[in-house]
Amino acid sequence: MDDDINDILAEFDKRSVPSSTQDLNDLTKQWIAERGAPEVLPYQGPLLERIMERIREQIEIVERETGDLEPNANFRLILIQTELERVKFLVRAYLRARMAKIDKHPLYLINNPSALSHLSDPEKAYLRSHLALLNNHYLSSFLRNFPAQLRRLDDAAGGVSMVEEPDLDSAVFCRVVRVLEEGEELVVKGTDARVELMKGDVVVVRYRAVRKWVLGGEVELI
Amino acid sequence: MYGDLGLKLVQHAKRTQSLSHLPPYQSELIRAITREVRDLDRDVTETLEPYPNFDPTQDPALATLLLANHICIRRNKRCLLAYHRVRVEKIEEMCWSGSDILEQVQVTKGEGQEGEAGALGAAEGGSVSSLSPEEEEYARQYSDLLAAYKGQWTDIDLTGSLDPPRDLFIDVRVLKDAGEIQTEYGAINLTKNSQFFVRQGDVERLIAQGFLQKLS
Repeated sequence: MDDDINDILAEFDKRSVPSSTQDLNDLTKQWIAERGAPEVLPYQGPLLERIMERIREQIEIVERETGDLEPNANFRLILIQTELERVKFLVRAYLRARMAKIDKHPLYLINNPSALSHLSDPEKAYLRSHLALLNNHYLSSFLRNFPAQLRRLDDAAGGVSMVEEPDLDSAVFCRVVRVLEEGEELVVKGTDARVELMKGDVVVVRYRAVRKWVLGGEVELI
Repeated sequence: MYGDLGLKLVQHAKRTQSLSHLPPYQSELIRAITREVRDLDRDVTETLEPYPNFDPTQDPALATLLLANHICIRRNKRCLLAYHRVRVEKIEEMCWSGSDILEQVQVTKGEGQEGEAGALGAAEGGSVSSLSPEEEEYARQYSDLLAAYKGQWTDIDLTGSLDPPRDLFIDVRVLKDAGEIQTEYGAINLTKNSQFFVRQGDVERLIAQGFLQKLS
């Protein structure tokens, strides 16, 4: 019974937060998750759209009101600008964290449609052009002098694939934020560890074991 | 011995990782390794010529020879790739941090050409650039790609600092004359050794380029 009331209260609290603050909190969470996860997570298009729209509005206010020498306005401007710098940093760090991963596993991403679908269109375009550039660079630097059958960059001969993949077994810190479905429990592949996850639990675990919940939103990386 | 050169190259790559600048491109070594790969490949083809339908189980000795050659070829290829990859990453890093490598290259080149006219030219002309022509081309293209991608986020400045901002205004000291800059609060003349209290966003580029030093 108590739990029910708490849930209702929590739900209520959530709604009372203004949508702009909620967006900002979401972006912070996404940024942290992106930094923690070994693979590129789904792109938060609508969220970023909304935030960019607000940044533009704020920049307009700043531009309109600079030059106004009234002390109060000036102070307000400084607050807005400080806030602006912080939000900009957040967006920048989020995008850069994604790009770092895109640059790290380009060949894996391009050949893996489900992973590729996590990227935004500009990111896809960047990935393709970057890969083409790299390919060209290797080719003109030395591969062109190689026998034709050895020029590929994605050989899997000898049982070892040349394509580096994100290490889904790396450890992540995460927190359970929503109640998991009945009967769901944490199973770590290759071991017989089984843990029942409760809401609010914080665990360190291989990313692979919580991946589906991270994507589903039940678990957040911290 | 097969693979020795590859090892040398990888050691170069390893060393490059911990250097702040890019050491000269090992074109001699690259050429030698590529040659080794071609020679090995020719060996393989020649060895196989008398046997149109080679069955490894019939002749284990020959099969082993072929395997060894193949592995050497692949190893060399990986070494080359690793070496180039490390350098490419360095180049990309420079593109991101805004230090214009191409400009530096051109400056040194310009000096080299001027020098050639003079008596001391030859020595300087030799150390024109640590990038290979292919790498220069790559740097140019990557800068373009980066600029294009950045263009979609003009309000954010993707190449900006990745340290979370603490204060809107910061103290900076001018290390090199940077001329006059325009800010919302008027023009500031950045002369060497002077000190200013300015908006971080206005001078970020100059800090990255080493004109200003942030004081904490």
